[in-house]
Amino acid sequence: MPAYFATSMYAFMGAPLLVILVLTLAGRKLAEKWALTVGYIVGIIQMLTSIIAIILLWQYNKASITFSQFWSIQANDGAAYFSADVFSLIALFCIGMVTFAAFYTAKTMIGKKAFQFTNLMMVMILGMNGLALVTDLFSLYVFLEITGVSSYVLISINRDNKGLEGGFKYLIMSAIASAFILVSLALIFINTGSLRYEDISAISSSWMELSNPILILVAFVFLICGFSIKSGLVPFHGWLPDAYQSAPAPVSIMLGGIVTKMVGVYAIIRIVSNLLVESDTVVNTCFMVLALMSIIYGAVAAAGQKDFKRLLGYSSISQIGYIILGVSTGNILGYIGAIFHFFNHATFKTTLFVNSAAVEQQTGLSDITKMGGLHKQMPITGTSNIIAFLSAVGIPPLAGFWSKLFIIIAVWQTNGAIIASIALVASIFTAVYFLRIQKNIFFGPVNEKFADIKEAVKGFKLTEIALSVITIGCGLLFPVLLLLLQAQGIV
Amino acid sequence: MFNALNSLITSGSGVNLLIIMIIVPALLALITIIIPKRSYFGRAILFLIATVVNLLFAISLFVGEEMTMLIPWADFGINLSLRVYDFSQFMVLAAACFAFLVALYSISFMRNKSYSGKFFFYYLITLALVNGALLANNLVVMLFFWEGLLVTLFGMTIIGNAKRPAVAMKALILNGVADLLLMFGIAITAMQAGTMAMDMIVDIPMEGLGIVGFVCMMLGAIGKAGSMPFHSWIPDAAEQAPLPFMAILPAALEKMLGIYLLVRVCLTFYDFTPGSTLSIVVMAIGAITLVLAVAMALIQKDMKKLLSYHAISQVGYMILGIGTALPVGIVGGIFHMINHVIYKCCLFLTAGSVEKQAGTTDLNKISGLGRFMPITAICFIIAALSISGVPPFNGFFSKELIFDAALESGVIFYIAAILGAFLTAASFLKLGHAAFFGPVKLPEDVREKDMMEAPGAMLLPMIVLAAFCIFFGVGNAIPLSIIQPLLGDALGGANFAGWPHSTVLVLISIGVLLLAVLNHYLGYRRTGEGIKAVDHIHYLPGLHQVYNCAEKHYFDPYNILMLLFKFISYLCFAIDRCINWIYDVLFVKTIQGATTAMKNFNSGSTSRYIAWMFTGMAFVLMMFILLL
Repeated sequence: MPAYFATSMYAFMGAPLLVILVLTLAGRKLAEKWALTVGYIVGIIQMLTSIIAIILLWQYNKASITFSQFWSIQANDGAAYFSADVFSLIALFCIGMVTFAAFYTAKTMIGKKAFQFTNLMMVMILGMNGLALVTDLFSLYVFLEITGVSSYVLISINRDNKGLEGGFKYLIMSAIASAFILVSLALIFINTGSLRYEDISAISSSWMELSNPILILVAFVFLICGFSIKSGLVPFHGWLPDAYQSAPAPVSIMLGGIVTKMVGVYAIIRIVSNLLVESDTVVNTCFMVLALMSIIYGAVAAAGQKDFKRLLGYSSISQIGYIILGVSTGNILGYIGAIFHFFNHATFKTTLFVNSAAVEQQTGLSDITKMGGLHKQMPITGTSNIIAFLSAVGIPPLAGFWSKLFIIIAVWQTNGAIIASIALVASIFTAVYFLRIQKNIFFGPVNEKFADIKEAVKGFKLTEIALSVITIGCGLLFPVLLLLLQAQGIV
Repeated sequence: MFNALNSLITSGSGVNLLIIMIIVPALLALITIIIPKRSYFGRAILFLIATVVNLLFAISLFVGEEMTMLIPWADFGINLSLRVYDFSQFMVLAAACFAFLVALYSISFMRNKSYSGKFFFYYLITLALVNGALLANNLVVMLFFWEGLLVTLFGMTIIGNAKRPAVAMKALILNGVADLLLMFGIAITAMQAGTMAMDMIVDIPMEGLGIVGFVCMMLGAIGKAGSMPFHSWIPDAAEQAPLPFMAILPAALEKMLGIYLLVRVCLTFYDFTPGSTLSIVVMAIGAITLVLAVAMALIQKDMKKLLSYHAISQVGYMILGIGTALPVGIVGGIFHMINHVIYKCCLFLTAGSVEKQAGTTDLNKISGLGRFMPITAICFIIAALSISGVPPFNGFFSKELIFDAALESGVIFYIAAILGAFLTAASFLKLGHAAFFGPVKLPEDVREKDMMEAPGAMLLPMIVLAAFCIFFGVGNAIPLSIIQPLLGDALGGANFAGWPHSTVLVLISIGVLLLAVLNHYLGYRRTGEGIKAVDHIHYLPGLHQVYNCAEKHYFDPYNILMLLFKFISYLCFAIDRCINWIYDVLFVKTIQGATTAMKNFNSGSTSRYIAWMFTGMAFVLMMFILLL
């Protein structure tokens, strides 16, 4: 493997830091002008880098690439290093994609706060990229906090009551989650003396024989609860709809599209797949119950919502439930499904958030019951909305169909037909609330109040089209993706 | 000459005459429809030529030997298999003759009718399908042609009445039900026999599924023949459909097909024995059909409608005869079928002449037409005498055979047959008297000096048919010599030709006829009008109310069927409403309730969120403790 390959990985950490440095040094005026452009260029760079990295991994037939940030890899104890496998790279690609969408649509939404916004976003991206690359639990925690801190501020960037309230709630709940995770890490560290993934994977198989298993039990409970809060599983989800609804549009794109998934779902997938190598039935059952609750609760609650963004928040709860359900099966099909659904969710949920931002910008409203017949005026937004929600519902051949199919097959194989049926039936509810959106906003009679509105601005249109193309393309090229994943032996 | 034609076709080119019988009329039908509409003459000539060609081929088939052709087609023993033997030779020839005569008649009748082209087209297609159904030697192939007739039947009923498709729908549905039964019957028969080749199916025992198969096939056959309970579209069609259609389909070709199949089912396919339960069932259907239909015919005030009820009633005789399963009954049934087609065709054609000349067939508006249309009147009288069973016309001889068989099978059936004969005679006395005799009465828009005899092309078929009525009566040995060998050994060497053997039965029949004349005379004396000669029966206390109900179609099986369907559809509608309620109300309310509850939970209170979070944590802890 060429040396530049490992070196190029530094871009994930280096690019956000460099942007912060340059923008801060460039001076206020210049920074305000170029900040957003630089932001989406970072997104594009990240997407390209991750795709190239995936291709190179595949070409050199390697499972992962390891590189260190500040320490030597060879250093034995306490050495933290980064490693990128295909799952990390998919996550990194998603981050890049959502970043691009958020910055590209931010131009008209953020206004004078571009510099502030970009800097905070860069911190957030740095945090998420770190999350995707770390190889030990403590580093995971550190990047979790970096991401969290920037999110609180970003939610309340407009300094209005709504944003402050949402940010505050997120802050409080995340603080509790962080405390839980930290306690859990401490307890694990007591038992193992190390927090590296490979070191602690040992405890999962034989933790009942350890000197004080009750501590490990408590550690697991705290770990599950902490990450459940972060990913918004029911009943730890209270903050999520409020935060999504109150954040400004680009931030809710970021939050809904990727942040919750990275800090919660990605971490859970890492823990369950990496730490608990031998699938532990208790942990799995726990996640399965939480996932089912989330699926049903999110879907039913979404069916009655009036606010577009809040509805998408509940929908996220439901979709996260599907991802966690896939993970909880503990078999390879479930992991593939979960990871692919992770990616699909980032795609279609970002599309939907972009659409909500577009609709809100054009009509000044986010209450779906007051709109109607917008498809004629906003055909691109309407069509991309259809593609995104059909993917979310799981209609072939869109990408969402494959991931849901894999998850449900995996659930059927491990947990039997009943739970798979529940997941399937809940999928109908997904259709219910999304059809409700489509009908209330885009179809039906034209609301005369909105007779003269126009299609969303260029930034929105381009993002919507690009994301829709990804949704359709991934659905059609899914078999190729699957082959790629299998060739890597990652899942 | 025909032998030459036959050998020419069968040998040299390798084209089989059997397939020509089907293809040629169909091909000419297609050519007929593409001839421009303006050129009525061209169409009519081609139409006539098609029937003549068909007749020539039929004759050459008749004089030829027994033939089969087999083209392997599909699996499961479904082959394109045709066969001609003595019975179908005779039937195809008869069908071709009637087709030619009615075609000749229609050319004159259809002039200036906007739908003439369609009529010719459907007529020829019908002919092709009838030939196919008669020649088919495979149950599925026969079913194909049989079902094809449903299409042409619908087409012919609906032309000229496109705005009122109710009658066509009725015809389609009733025949469709019969055909569906036939389809079941064919499936069961093929399963029981283990083959679909019709000449291989012999004497399936009447037990278990065999009974179901027999009943289904029998119902399908009599349904096509227009027996009860599949009859009620015929009187309706008589009012609306073009008259040649009535003469060719319900009166002629459908009867022939239905009885042909019934004979085959009873005689060869199934082990159908005299005195068996099923024999009684078939006879009962025949007896009920003949009595009820003729009773309805008695009170009709429209010539076409009256005739159409007779067309139903006469089927009853045939079914009764064949249902006895006695050689004499079966021979009588087949002979009656041929006779019926001759005189009923003739009667319908006379009705058509009356309609063409007087503009109506409503007996309240016309009277004494014999003065203007003597030849039509004579033809009518001959045919009417024939249908009433007056010696020495053909109807008399076939009816006597059926009476003989009915008496042998049960007195009750004989009484029904005699009652039918009485009512038939009475209704024809009334019809003839009202239409052709008595004082002259014409519709207001027809002047007396304009009334004249029908054109020659219409008279010729009537005269030919009337002549056949006499010929088949006096010379009944000739048709019987064709019919009797069909039974083969079952006949036991008997010969029914010549004067009926039982003098007592003949005397009773003649007595019944005299009674009918007396009845008519008394009725006429009472009311002074021919049309009201049977009013004393019509308005008999008790009977009157039944008649009223029947006139209002209360007994129409179609209406009962439709009522049943209406009920089913209401039931389905109610179920649908329930399902709708579940989706539209129950689901929505449930989800709304659930959402409201969840909204209350997500009230925005951080402390509550934290409380729920700790509840969740307790839940996870509990799960860990429980599951370990």
